[in-house]
Amino acid sequence: MNSSNQKKRNFQIEAFKHKVVVDPKYADKTWKILEHAITEIYNHNASGLSFEELYRNAYNMVLHKFGEKLYSGLVGTMTLHLQEMAKTIEAAQGNLFLEELNRKWNDHNKALQMIRDILMYMDRTFIPSNRKTPVHELGLNLWRDNVIHSSKIQTRLLDTLLELIQKERTGEIINRGLMRNIIKMLMDLGSSVYQEDFEKHFLEVSADFYRAESQDFIECCDCGDYLKKAERRLNEEIERVSLYLDSKSETKITNVVEKEMIASHMLRLVHMDNSGLVNMLIDDKYEDLGRMYNLFRRVPNGLPTIRDVMTSHLRETGKQLVTDAEKLKDPVEFVQCLLNEKDKYDKIINLAFSNDKTFQNALNSSFEYFINLNPRSPEFISLFVDEKLRKGLKGVSEEDVETILDKVMMLFRYLQEKDVFEKYYKQHLAKRLLSGKTVSDDAERSLIVKLKTECGYQFTSKLEGMFTDMKTSQDTMQGFYAAYAAELGDSPTLVVQVLTTGSWPTQPSITCNLPAEMSALCEKFRSYYLGTHTGRRLSWQTNMGTADLKAIFGKGQKHELNVSTYQMCVLMLFNSADRLSYKEIEQATEIPSSDLRRCLQSLACVKGKNVLRKEPMSKDIGEEDAFFVNDKFASKFYKVKIGTVVAQKESEPEKQETRQRVEEDRKPQIEAAIVRIMKSRRVLDHNNIIAEVTKQLQSRFLANPGEIKKRIESLIERDFLERDSSDRRLYRYLA
Amino acid sequence: MTITGTSEKAAYQALKASDWHLEGAFDAFYSQPQPKSYTDARRLEDLYNRYKDAYADMIMADGITLLCSDILVDHQDIVMLVLSWHMKAATMCEFSKQEFIGGLQSLGVDSIEKLREKIPFMRSELKDDQKFREIYNFAFGWAKEKGQKSLALDTAIGMWQLLFAEKHWPLVDHWCQFLQARHNKAISRDTWSQLLEFAKTVDPQLSNYDVDGAWPYLIDEFVEYLIENGIIQKGQLSDWTQKH
Repeated sequence: MNSSNQKKRNFQIEAFKHKVVVDPKYADKTWKILEHAITEIYNHNASGLSFEELYRNAYNMVLHKFGEKLYSGLVGTMTLHLQEMAKTIEAAQGNLFLEELNRKWNDHNKALQMIRDILMYMDRTFIPSNRKTPVHELGLNLWRDNVIHSSKIQTRLLDTLLELIQKERTGEIINRGLMRNIIKMLMDLGSSVYQEDFEKHFLEVSADFYRAESQDFIECCDCGDYLKKAERRLNEEIERVSLYLDSKSETKITNVVEKEMIASHMLRLVHMDNSGLVNMLIDDKYEDLGRMYNLFRRVPNGLPTIRDVMTSHLRETGKQLVTDAEKLKDPVEFVQCLLNEKDKYDKIINLAFSNDKTFQNALNSSFEYFINLNPRSPEFISLFVDEKLRKGLKGVSEEDVETILDKVMMLFRYLQEKDVFEKYYKQHLAKRLLSGKTVSDDAERSLIVKLKTECGYQFTSKLEGMFTDMKTSQDTMQGFYAAYAAELGDSPTLVVQVLTTGSWPTQPSITCNLPAEMSALCEKFRSYYLGTHTGRRLSWQTNMGTADLKAIFGKGQKHELNVSTYQMCVLMLFNSADRLSYKEIEQATEIPSSDLRRCLQSLACVKGKNVLRKEPMSKDIGEEDAFFVNDKFASKFYKVKIGTVVAQKESEPEKQETRQRVEEDRKPQIEAAIVRIMKSRRVLDHNNIIAEVTKQLQSRFLANPGEIKKRIESLIERDFLERDSSDRRLYRYLA
Repeated sequence: MTITGTSEKAAYQALKASDWHLEGAFDAFYSQPQPKSYTDARRLEDLYNRYKDAYADMIMADGITLLCSDILVDHQDIVMLVLSWHMKAATMCEFSKQEFIGGLQSLGVDSIEKLREKIPFMRSELKDDQKFREIYNFAFGWAKEKGQKSLALDTAIGMWQLLFAEKHWPLVDHWCQFLQARHNKAISRDTWSQLLEFAKTVDPQLSNYDVDGAWPYLIDEFVEYLIENGIIQKGQLSDWTQKH
């Protein structure tokens, strides 16, 4: 501590009249001391100063009402020093400019801190009460005004910063620490300085840069590469912000990149030939797709763009798929293609589009659109299921079976005409059950349960009835054989399935003439059954049965033939005749002619199954054709299957018939819906009835408004409804 | 006076009220309620017996023929329909005693001459919108076979020709052709009554036809038929004869 060079005074102690007379020059002198101190501080000579003394001086000045002088003195001195510093900075060459600026800034900060400490009393008393800017803030403002905004520095600073950023963008290494300090300096000077003096221009220049770069890239890169580059730039900017910019700039700069690199070129990228979105989808480019998704989700309308292109592509390919004549030849193949397509897109949405629900919805709506373009879809899906349940699922684990059935259910949900599916499913199920050709009972039941969950009890009650009949028939057969064991020893083995008429698909039944051995047996069964079930009527469905025959041919070849009931009737005739004409066979068996023709064709005209020989050898069956046993019949298998009861794609006339039956079935359903609705609403106008009915029936089929109208009129005719007398568009329920 | 059969005084009043315009006078005269005149029950009984069928207690075809010639009206004249309507006749070509007598009473006539005089009045009733509708709808039940719910197509067409001769509807011929070509089935009551609404509310160019207008399906089909055959084209009713 040095001694002050204050004048020594003798002070007299005067009672009660103590007055400290201040030397008028006191203020100046004191100020001079402080001024000198400030200079020393700026000259890095602060070590020789006494903090306590300086503080006291400043304190006294304020106390003796010289705050103003102190304050303005401070402003003046600091300004001068800063101006000098500015000159030094301006003089720095090239790269040293920023370093010099940084150094001087640090100096100033250190000085400022010391000065503020010294002037703390003024800071706390004089300044607030006189509404002056506090010392620290003052120091920053003066720096700003005299250095940063000096004409020779302001522009140069900005240019230097932008130049460095540009260098970094083109791959050069820059001094990031220095950048950080300078930027921090700007931030410290206030957000408006940061924004006005730097950020604003930074964003503009960046926009120009990326605009140009994206233009270059888009001309020479394919979509995938472009997106990689865009992603890289985006990440770079984010890193830049974290390393040396204000964190608030992140959103702003990323917006710039997103706009220039992605938003401006969105459509061009998506539709790029050979590499755009559609190509990526076709080639399952998960990574590229994922990148596109992540980049596009940042820009307005980005994801909808992807979604729309995906949807229209999917609809187009789907449409082609369902109208492709080749595929339509094989229903199982057709459905498998649909499943494959669904799997493909599920995977894409999962891996690349982060399971985005809106994309899932787009996928579902597209499938719903094109599956229903082909009116045979319900039939084909049922045939697919049929194939799987007959043989396709053989040896497949339970889990995998469930997976496949779940996938089928998913396609089922897309169908608009679920009632058509039901009709076919019933037919196919009947054939499977009756021919005993189902791979797994569990799988069958599992699917029924799934259908019930989806569509409700009514959908599956009849199907379940079919299963029950099968089971009951087994029990009946046991009872039959138990009761007639003695008599039946030598007879052929009979297996009867008793079908409840309502549950099974309706077939017109014309009974043919069974061979004597069979008809006797059948009669026994009939009386047995009716004995235990009075009041019921049985009719033999000879068009649906099968038979196993043991046959010995001319050269002694023995075979077991698995045939339909009709085929059995025909073959058995040859036990008592060597040659039979078509007419004779027709008379003897009474099989309807179209069925008989098909039956004979399958026995005589199919290679490997021709147990009969026909003269002439043509494929067509003429009235005068003659049939013989084919003594030369050969097959490498002992058991030969000649039955024709397997479910297959319907022929055109059959299809028409089924369609007609479906339409007929719909009428009562529509009427029931109308009555239900009108009963609860009492009065309803035309358009609303149509809407409500359509909605109620949606889960089964798409109701035709014209058909609904006709049903309404029919109900009016039958006095269920009437038109309102004053408003002809209103209908009224008649109790 | 010759036409209306009324007195000179009433004629004078009607003409004066309508400012001496003849047509206006007719309108005014016919729209006023007719004074109920006294009818003699015995004379009605006699009249009934004149026409009554030999074997049944009804007036049948022969009786009606005689009635028509008595009042100088062709039996296919639409006035007979109006008369049947007054009688609330259940079915065409026969009147029960109650229907006959009740009908004549409500008309206030008890003789052939008075009935004859009432004919112009009955014709005029067809000009009244409300009454025409009632007569039109009545015609359905009257013209159809007893015990049937619907009206046979031929009969319906005949009735339509008759009715729409009174209340002109330009599409009536197309309608009948359409039905014979495409429908060939009986006509339901709803279709019958809705057709009148259609003819009244929808203009012949179909410019205000609303496809969601809850019209019966048959009428929708008719509209399609018209468009298909170029009879209605973009709102223009092209002249059928011009095209062919």
